[in-house]
Order: sequence, then C-alpha cells, then structure tokens
Amino acid sequence: MHPILGRPARLLAYLGVWVPLGMLVAALLYLQGVFGWLEATIVALPLVLAYGFLCLSAWYVTGGSPVDRVGAWRNAVTAVIASFVSSAVWLMIARGWLAIVGGVRGWPAITPAFRLAAPTLFGFGFFLYLLAMAASYLAAAFAISQEAEKRGLELQVLAREAELRALRAQIDPHFLFNSLQSISALTTLDAAAARRMCLLLADFLRDTLALGSRERIALSEELALARRFLEVEQVRFGSRLQMTIDAQPGTEKEEVPPLVLQPLVENAVTHGIAHVLEGGVVRIATARQMTWLVLTVDNPCDGDRPAGRGTGLGLRNVRERLESEYGRDARLRTEEADGRFIARIDIPLGS
Amino acid sequence: MTEHQPLRIVIVDDEPLARSLVREYASSDPSLEVVADCANGFEAVKAVSELKPDLVLLDVQMPKLDGFEVLELLGREQAVVFITAYDQYALRAFEVHAVDYLLKPFSADRFQEAMDRARERRRAKSAAPMNVDEIVRDAKPKAGPAERVLIRDGANVHVLPVDKIDYVEAQDDYVAFKSEGKQYLKDQTLSAVEAALDPARFVRIHRSFILNIDRIAKVELYAKDSRIAILRDGTRLPVSRAGYTRLSQLL
Repeated sequence: MHPILGRPARLLAYLGVWVPLGMLVAALLYLQGVFGWLEATIVALPLVLAYGFLCLSAWYVTGGSPVDRVGAWRNAVTAVIASFVSSAVWLMIARGWLAIVGGVRGWPAITPAFRLAAPTLFGFGFFLYLLAMAASYLAAAFAISQEAEKRGLELQVLAREAELRALRAQIDPHFLFNSLQSISALTTLDAAAARRMCLLLADFLRDTLALGSRERIALSEELALARRFLEVEQVRFGSRLQMTIDAQPGTEKEEVPPLVLQPLVENAVTHGIAHVLEGGVVRIATARQMTWLVLTVDNPCDGDRPAGRGTGLGLRNVRERLESEYGRDARLRTEEADGRFIARIDIPLGS
Repeated sequence: MTEHQPLRIVIVDDEPLARSLVREYASSDPSLEVVADCANGFEAVKAVSELKPDLVLLDVQMPKLDGFEVLELLGREQAVVFITAYDQYALRAFEVHAVDYLLKPFSADRFQEAMDRARERRRAKSAAPMNVDEIVRDAKPKAGPAERVLIRDGANVHVLPVDKIDYVEAQDDYVAFKSEGKQYLKDQTLSAVEAALDPARFVRIHRSFILNIDRIAKVELYAKDSRIAILRDGTRLPVSRAGYTRLSQLL
C-alpha cells in the first residue's frame, strides 16, 4: 500500500510541504523576470501542487522496495529516466495551464514566457522527482526494518510463551514415580490409604494443569496447590515432613503467575527435608510489606551439604519466570542460616 | 555358604513405605531373610558391619549419606541392589559393580529377578572370590573434587568436610586425616586421596603428606634442599624438593 496516498492526514501534511516549494518556484519565475509577482504565483502554485501528486508515483516506480546492492546501477538509471519523463510530462501540463490561465486573464505573449520559464520548471521537476525517488527508497527501507523489529518482538513473545508452557509442563517425573511406589506399597498395607493417595495425586495433577493454563491465579489457589503437593509427599515421608501455611489475611486474593511458588515448595522437600535425617517443618508464609506481596518458603536443610546443590534449576526457573512477568520489579532471594533454607519472592502488589 | 542357606538381606531406605514394600516382596520368598531394615546410611553401615548380610538393598537418595556413599564405606565387595526413582544413576551403579538396579515403582517379578541375580553372584563369589583391588581400581572417581571425606570407624561413620582437614598423612596401609586435633584413619592410599581432593586447595608436600594450603603459616629452610612447613597450630611437616616446587606454584 502507498504510505501517503492511503492516509488523508499524511497526504495533507505532504501537500503542505509543497506549498512553500510552489512559492519558491513563483519567486524564481519572478526573479527571472518572466512574470510579475501575482502572475508567477497563479502559475506556479497550482502547478507545483499538481507535481506533488505526480511525485507520489515515485513509490510505484521504486516498486515499494529499498535499494538493493546488486541492482544499484539499474536503480540509478531508472531514477534518472523516471525523473526525466515525469518532468517532461509536467512541462506539458505547465504549457497547458499557462495557455488556460493566460487565455482567461488575457496575457500577451504566452509562448515566449513559457520558453523562458521552461528550463527553471524542468530543472525543478527533475530534481524534485529524484528526491521523491530517494524518499521512497528510504521509506521502504524504514518500513522493512520496522517490520523486522516487529517480527523480532513477536518471536520474543512466542519464545517466552513456549518457555512458560515448558515450565508449566515441569511436573517432576520422579515425584510421580515415588508417589506410584508409595501407592504400590499401600495397596496391600492399607487399601483405603492407597485410594486416598490416588485421589490426592489426581487432584494435584489436575490442579497443576488447570492453573498452568491461566495467566494469573489467586494466591489462595497457589497455596492450595502447595498444600496438595505437601500432602502427597507426607504419605511418602511420613512424620519427617510437616507443614505450616501462614497466609496473612487479605493476601489470598492477590494475583500471582501460576506455579510460581510450586518449584520452591518442591525444592523444600527434595533438597531440604529429604536430606535431613529427622525431617522438619516446611513453612510457607505470605504477607504484604508496603507495596510488595512477599511469599516465603522456609525449610530445614542439611548444613553440611554444599549450599545450593541441585536446587539451581528450580530457582533459575522461578527467577526467569518472575523476570518475564514483571521485569525488574519482582525478585527472588534465598538465604541459608542456622540449618534452614529460606526462599523469598517479592512481587509488586496489584499487578 | 551354600545355595540352601537363605539369602540374608538388609533393606536401606529413608521412606517407611518403600521399606514395607520390599519387606512384603521378600516375605513371599522363603529363601530370603530380612535381617534388618534401616532408615538411613549410618544405620546401614552399622547393621551391615554387625550382621554381614549377603545383600544390601540400597536406596540412592537418602539424607546425609546417599546410597553410593554407603557402598563406598561398606567396601565395594559388598553385594548391593540399588533402588531409586532416578534412572540417571544406572550407569554409576554399573560402574560400582552393583548386582542390579531397581527403578521405582517395581513389580514383585522384577524384585525376584534381582534376588536371582544376587544368588547367582553369591555362588560365583564363593567359587572364585572377586579381586577387590581390581574393583576399586575400576571404579572411576566422581566428577569434580570431593567436598567431604567419609570415614568408617567400625560401625560408626564420620563425615569430614574437606575444609576441616588440616593435613593427611600416610601411615602404613592407612591414611590419617588430621582435623581439629583429631585423627581419622581410612583404608586408602595417599595417591587416591590426592586424586580425590581439590588440587587448588590441597598439595602433596611430601611422599607422606598432603597439606591443606589454608593451614600454612610459613615455610622454613631446614637444611640444604630440605624445608619445613609450619602450620598455624604450630605443627611442623617435612616438605620435599618436589613438594616445595608444587607448593610454590600454588602460593
């Protein structure tokens, strides 16, 4: 589509630029002594405006594409020929216009006047058409680079979405295998408990899939998911795993990206409780602090074990997740002190 | 040992349900005798030292000591079947000559198959004892320098973080790890210790000594071509010429 013709506002602005050019031509003709001020203006202004329209054709001559390196010579020749032709056409129009205006206003000696004015008009027309060609090439190049930038952004968004889907799909398979092993053991030991475990696991999986497909969920839903997960793991770890979930009233309604807490809770079990002989309590807490929603997961850990061993992937996922959702406005911090590992997420409230 | 004797097994898993499942599978086979079940690696080392079972069923993920570390402490001639939900350990299990490798969840048939292999291994072993040295040499060192040293003292296990080691001294067939005024003996060669420790933090200063470089206070010339390293606690250790070269490169 033509970048100017199709849009009235642009067309008006474009023609506005041609008005002073028309005055310039009028001045040239006046200085040449061909016409008086008034006559020069009456002849030049409409002619130049008409030429403005003619110059719009440059876009079609360039084919709406930028200069290509290989065909640069051909582009130059095309530009010169097109400028020559359009300027010649314009000169014929000028001749006609002069005849009409001259006839109406009863000017004498129209032909000599035209002969005098012709070189000025032709030179002006030739030069401006070349300019129009150059502008067309530039506009096309600009449009293409913008298109490329837009496509780049679209790709970025797509990549981010794919990443999110992958993250959501990240239910640790070992969690499933271990749970199945527990069910397998329970079937003969305690059939009712085996059934309870199946139902817990089914609920957890269903919730994970359902929540994961949404952009934002209420914090209460994320906490319910964490509770389910811990209940499943409690079957496996028995009394070694205890939990407290302490949500400050009001925070449950806040919106969070789905499964943002879940990797931290999984880490608390697989890299915390699982490495402590006597086990302990996984504490999940939520609070408002000024303009922040603060989520913490706090669990016992084996102080002798090299810090951060194996917890990297889950933490990195959460960090990337927060960055893609909030940029630099959210953060995840972790600390290890007195045999406990604390992971803390800060999310701006009401976002 | 003959084939008619039951296979005496020890079950090691930190999850109570996983232990009951193995117990249940084992109870259906009269030729298996569960002599102990242990909730962690320390209990396992103790039980195996005292009961000398034919086979240890060993969970890989456990607190403090994982299955591979337990096996290292027991000695690699101990027959083990590893149990885990993680199949990425299969290769390592093979490298340490495990009898078998069970992936959770596993069936009673698969469990029986593993027991058959263990019986097979026992028969072969009583016919021709395996060469322990060869097995130990075969076992490739783990990737990366050791973060801690495991030392078995009878039925007890000491876990020694490497930064608590002052120096290591060769003593006859053992190496002695010196840490905070105490000494821990381990049945290992000094070269094997040297290979396992981080070469940026530990240096072999002498045929018989590996030193934690953080502990050095100064090095003094003692006689021609002979130096002494003086540690922060005043301990004096001999430094050979080659040892001094290595030490100077690090400092």
